[in-house]
Amino acid sequence: MKDLLRIKSLISTEIESLLNQQIKKEAYSSSIYLSMASWCNRNGYDFSSDYFFKQAEEERTHQLKFFKYVLDMGGNSVSPEVTGIKQEYNSFREVFEEALDQEISVTNSIKNIYARCMKEQDFVTMEFLNWFLKEQREEEYKARRALELFEVIGEEGTGRWQIDKHVGEIKYNSEA
Amino acid sequence: MITTLTQTTPWTDVFKTTKGAVYQCDEERCWYVDFAGKVAKFDYRCLLKLRKSVYHIDIEHALLNTTKDPDVEIIFICACDHCYVLTLLQIIALKELLEGTFVMLELNHILNESLVISQ
Repeated sequence: MKDLLRIKSLISTEIESLLNQQIKKEAYSSSIYLSMASWCNRNGYDFSSDYFFKQAEEERTHQLKFFKYVLDMGGNSVSPEVTGIKQEYNSFREVFEEALDQEISVTNSIKNIYARCMKEQDFVTMEFLNWFLKEQREEEYKARRALELFEVIGEEGTGRWQIDKHVGEIKYNSEA
Repeated sequence: MITTLTQTTPWTDVFKTTKGAVYQCDEERCWYVDFAGKVAKFDYRCLLKLRKSVYHIDIEHALLNTTKDPDVEIIFICACDHCYVLTLLQIIALKELLEGTFVMLELNHILNESLVISQ
């Protein structure tokens, strides 16, 4: 009996379902960053707003990468429904704390897919995920660095204005 | 809708229960589901859609439901020629049939992979 499932799709239904969950997660991230950009802009933190706009775009690109990969492998990509986006934040710092939480959750989720791929010996998807793992290094670094600015600059006086200015300059230049 | 099919290509048994059976046709790259009085042809996408819609039915909720609604579910699969109108017992039977089918297809996949590796 021919292995028709394998003929039709390179990835298993479990991996396909995990990748679809990741598509939804990336879409959620993109929307939450957009909401953060809006909050920062409304409250006068223009550099941070630009930073979050860029982050929102990046997450959207990640979402599309997953989306196209599932389709290319013969799977079914599901366009996700994104709801429950928080629109208001209590403080400038809270925005960055939640941004870091979001990145940590994305990293964990990619690690979880990677673990499943290892179990199934799906080396093709593992190789595809390598790019995302590297990307997460940068994403987490940037989110952590932004929070660090709150510690080193301090929020007193014109502190928040300084932090906002420096958020726009955060760069990750690792050759490793 | 009752479909009467004349078998022109060889079919392989995938999984059988007392209520129904699933056969695979390698030549046509499809499956034939013999259930609820009809034999229906499903391609890869439609078989996955059938599985998804059957697995999504909340059987427990339907069993505990005391309203006077008729105890039937309509399984309609988008872009597929077939539709099932099933009672709760039939849904349980179809779910069992599909679960068994996918376990067998998975087993077949593992066997095929092992054969390729050992060659």
